[in-house]
Amino acid sequence: MKLFKSVLAAAAVTIGLGAASPAMSNDEGPILVVSGPLSWPFFAAVKKGFDDAAEIFDVDYQYIAVTDTSNMTSDYPRLLQQAISREPRMLLVGEFFPDGMDPLIKEATAAGIPVLIHNSGQTLWEGNGSIGFVGEDPYQMGYKAGQIQADAGVTTGLCFNQVPGNPTVEERCNGYVAAMKKAGKETIYQTIGTGDATNPQAMTQAIKGSLQANPQIDGIYTLNAVPAMSALRAVDEVGRKGEIMVGTADLSNEALLAIKNGDLAFAMDQQPYLQGFMSIQIAHQYLNYGLHPIGHVKTGPLVIDSSNVDETLQVNKEHAGVRGAS
Amino acid sequence: MKRPEAGAFAAFLITYLFFALATPGTGFVSVNGTAGWLNLAAELGIVAIPVGLLMISGEFDLSIGSTVGAASMILALGTNQYDLPIWPMVFLALAAGGLIGLANGLAVVKTKLPSFIVTLATNFIVIGATMGVSRLIANVTSSSIVASDSAKFVFAARWGQANISILWWLLVAYIGYRVLSRSVFGNWIYATGGNLDAARGAGVPVQRVKISLFIATGLAAALVGILQGVQWNSGNATYGMGFVFQAPIVVVIGGVLLTGGYGSVTGIVLGTALFGVISSGIFYTGWNTDWIQLFLGLLLAAAVLANNYVRRLALSSK
Repeated sequence: MKLFKSVLAAAAVTIGLGAASPAMSNDEGPILVVSGPLSWPFFAAVKKGFDDAAEIFDVDYQYIAVTDTSNMTSDYPRLLQQAISREPRMLLVGEFFPDGMDPLIKEATAAGIPVLIHNSGQTLWEGNGSIGFVGEDPYQMGYKAGQIQADAGVTTGLCFNQVPGNPTVEERCNGYVAAMKKAGKETIYQTIGTGDATNPQAMTQAIKGSLQANPQIDGIYTLNAVPAMSALRAVDEVGRKGEIMVGTADLSNEALLAIKNGDLAFAMDQQPYLQGFMSIQIAHQYLNYGLHPIGHVKTGPLVIDSSNVDETLQVNKEHAGVRGAS
Repeated sequence: MKRPEAGAFAAFLITYLFFALATPGTGFVSVNGTAGWLNLAAELGIVAIPVGLLMISGEFDLSIGSTVGAASMILALGTNQYDLPIWPMVFLALAAGGLIGLANGLAVVKTKLPSFIVTLATNFIVIGATMGVSRLIANVTSSSIVASDSAKFVFAARWGQANISILWWLLVAYIGYRVLSRSVFGNWIYATGGNLDAARGAGVPVQRVKISLFIATGLAAALVGILQGVQWNSGNATYGMGFVFQAPIVVVIGGVLLTGGYGSVTGIVLGTALFGVISSGIFYTGWNTDWIQLFLGLLLAAAVLANNYVRRLALSSK
C-alpha cells in the first residue's frame, strides 16, 4: 500500500509539473518486463525472444512473471505495481488482466515511464498512453479458426477452454464462435475445472464426454496444444477419427507431428518469439533514437497446416524453444 | 459394515447410479465409457494410495504435484535432449521421486514442523527447480519424450480404450492393502497416526514409518509422471498440479480421517473411483460446463456427507 501511495504521489507531482519533466523516467533505471509465466512453453519462447534481442542490442532487462498460476488475476497487477515503483527506464508489459493492470499503466505513462505492450492488450494500448503494441489479436485468431472450420464444412463446432476466467484466452473462443455463427453454424462452448488444466487425461475424458453427449459435433477448436492432443485422443476413443476436424491455437512438437500425420487440421502460431524480440528492439530504438513503429505490430495468426508443417518442424529441431513448441 | 470403506462404497454406488441415469444413450456405462473414467481415476489413484497411508500416519504430502511434472521432464530431457535410452531415465525419475520423499520425510521428522507447510514448500521448490533446469538445458519447460517399444508397453499399453495405468493402480492398491492390513508395518502406521506418544512408548519406530511413507509417496508420484509422460509422448513441468489437492480429497472421501489413525486402502480406491465417475460423468450429461465446478463441489459435499452418515451408522451398530 505504501508503494502504491508513493506511485500515486509521484504521478500527481509529475502531472502537476506538466509533461516536461519525466520524474520517474530514469536514464539509469532498468528495463523491466512484466510478462507471462515461464512454465508455459509459449512464454518460454517469448522470453527467448527477449533474451536474444537483449544480447544483439546489448540491452539489460529483467523478466518478471508469476510462478504460481492460480491467482494470476490479482498477482499481475501487484507485480506491475512493484515494477513501476522501481522507476524503470522503460516498461514492457503483457496486459493480461486489463481491469487491474490498465489503471496502473495509465499511472506509469502519466509519470513519464515509456510503456510498450505485448501479447495482450491490443484494444487498450492507445487509451493508456503506451507507445505501441506487439502481438496477436486473440479474437482475430479465434475468428480465423472459425472461418477455416466453417469453410471446411463443419456444422457444429466445440470450443474447448481449459483455463476459464482468462479474458485473453476466452476471446479466442469468442472469435471462433462469432465466425461460426456468421457462417450460420452451431457452436458449443466447453470449460473444465481449474485443477485439471494441466491434466491431459482429465481433458481427454471431458471432451470424450461432450462428444458422446452431443454427437452432432464435427469440429473442435482447442486453445492450447496440450488439450489439442487430448481432443485427438477423445475423437479416436469415440470412434470418429476423420469425421471431426480438430484445430488448435498455439503449437507443440506433438501438435506439429499430428498435423504432418493428418490428424490435426491446423495450429495457429502467434509467433511468441517475435513478441519478445521486437519489444526489446523497439525499446532500444525508442530509448536511443526516439523511434518506434506507429500502431499495432501484428505477430499472428500464422496458420500452420500440412503445407508448411515440415519447415516448422525443422526449425523446431534446430532451434529449440524459438517456436514456443517442443 | 464396521469398516472405513462402507461410507465410500455407498457414496460410490449412489453417484454411479446417478450418472448412469442422467446420461442415457451416451455410452457412459459402456465398456469405453467405463475405461474412460477408470483411466482418469487410475493416475490419481496410484498417488492417492500412498498419500492416504501417509495421512493415516498423521502427515500430508502436497509436493506430489511437482514431483509428477519433474519425473516427466527427467524422461523428456534425457531421451530428447541427450538421446539417452528411456529405461535408465525411468529409474532416474523414480530415484528423484524417492529422494524428494526422503527430503520431505527427514525435514518433517527432524524439524517437527507441520508437513502441510513443509511439503507445500517442497512443491514450489521442485517445480521451480524443474523449470529452471529445463530452461538451462533445453530452453523449454515442456519437451517430447522418445520412448522405446518396451517402455511404451509397460507404461502406455492399451486394451481397447483401457490404459495399463489401471493395472498399475490395482498393483499399488494391492501392495498398499498388504502393507496396511496384513503387516506389522501397517499396525505401526495406524499407531503413529492414532496416538504418536503412545506409539513411541510402545516402541514403534515412528520416524522410520513416516520417512518410509514419504518415500513411497514420492515414488508413486514419479510413477504417475512416467505414465503420463510416456502416454502423451511429452514431459511438462506442470503435469500433476491438479493432484495436489485432488489426492487428499479422494482419500478423505474414502473414509480416512484428516486427523490420522483411521482409514483403509479399499476406501481410498472407492473414493478415487467416485471422483473419476464425477469428473468424467459430468461431461456426458451435456450440461453447460460453466457450472461444472459447482456441481463437482456439491456432489463431493454430498458424497462426504453420505459417507460420514453411513460410517457413523456402521460404527454404532454393534
